[in-house]
Amino acid sequence: MTSERYAIGLARAFGGAIIFGLPLLMTMEMWSLGFAMGRGRLLLLVAFTLVLLVGLSYFSGFEKTFSLKEDAMDALVAFGVGVITSGLLLVALAVVTFDMSWGDIVGRVALQSVPASIGAMLGRKQLGAEQDMKAEEERKQEAGYAGELFLMLAGALFLAFNMAPTEEMVLISYQMTPWHALALGVLSLLLLHTFVYSIGFSGQEGRPEGGTFLSTFLHFTLTGYGIALLVSLYVLWSFGRTDNVAVAEIANMLVVLGFPASLGAATARLVV
Amino acid sequence: MNRESKAKDIPRAKAEQQVPWLEWVASGIGLLLVLGIFGVIGWQAFNGASTPPAITVEVENVAPVEGGHRVLFRARNAAGGAAAQVEIEGNLSAAGTDPETSRVVLDYIPGHSERRGGLFFTRDPRSGVLSVRAMGFSEP
Repeated sequence: MTSERYAIGLARAFGGAIIFGLPLLMTMEMWSLGFAMGRGRLLLLVAFTLVLLVGLSYFSGFEKTFSLKEDAMDALVAFGVGVITSGLLLVALAVVTFDMSWGDIVGRVALQSVPASIGAMLGRKQLGAEQDMKAEEERKQEAGYAGELFLMLAGALFLAFNMAPTEEMVLISYQMTPWHALALGVLSLLLLHTFVYSIGFSGQEGRPEGGTFLSTFLHFTLTGYGIALLVSLYVLWSFGRTDNVAVAEIANMLVVLGFPASLGAATARLVV
Repeated sequence: MNRESKAKDIPRAKAEQQVPWLEWVASGIGLLLVLGIFGVIGWQAFNGASTPPAITVEVENVAPVEGGHRVLFRARNAAGGAAAQVEIEGNLSAAGTDPETSRVVLDYIPGHSERRGGLFFTRDPRSGVLSVRAMGFSEP
């Protein structure tokens, strides 16, 4: 691959970072979380994102990769693109001004670069015209069940991350009665199962291996929902939404955020 | 003829495996940004990022405006922890008259940062004693 072709991939990465990052760039809570959330949690989140980017690069990056070194390099590039895009846009939107303290500025940019860098990684897949679909399908098949779980995790994280910063997640969970929460949980499972069945995973036509309702349900639907709930818990904890909150309230929040997260898990295959 | 084209293909295939220079530059910049961000956030983490807010208010400017007087102030959070819903109250007292009070709420003041705001008074603050201070905050 030449530098010219690489530059095209890079341009698509910037496009992806803008498109996927924009909803959160214009979300008020993201700005204050950038300086207010726990520093250790923010560091952990950025580190987790880097690991996720390496995995995503393997499945569908902005170039076809051959080794862990290349995946790591792609992850760094995607993160850099995310940081630069977030930084420029936050300055343009006057969310970041230069009379702010450095800690404030870096915190805001670092948090925004999480969705933006994932967007950069997906940019090639979504915006690229000539993508190597065959290689991608091969990889997804090779990776097997663990690969499926990783893709579900990535999808769940991306969608959950888009909702979790808003006050609405907490507000909705306060408004809901336990019956609402149970109904939403069942709905999440139903939708997840339907998506798994109709979209399928790993390039399989129709049902996943084994085929029976029960095995699909246990292997993909329940596992997927479990991943969605864990991802929701992680994101809510990162944003400090679970601090000093009763377990029952946390469970409610998990079901609320688990709804978009499980849809993200189910449709990860479409996006990634 | 056939051999010649084959010989040409080999170096081209090799070149395709090589990492383009732009990729080195791009990932180098990425690495620098990662290290920079980890450095700044990590530094904050070990320098009292969670110490409770301590807010001081400093009056910057007093000017007459239509309908009264405007006091511009600068609220500074000297500690690492961010404060939300910071209520700033200005109290103007002069001999022989009732004290006049004005309030404003600042949404956030991040750690080691400043936010500016203003208060309005009907009387001239320079004619009496003006005190502006932070009343309280909530954790974000």
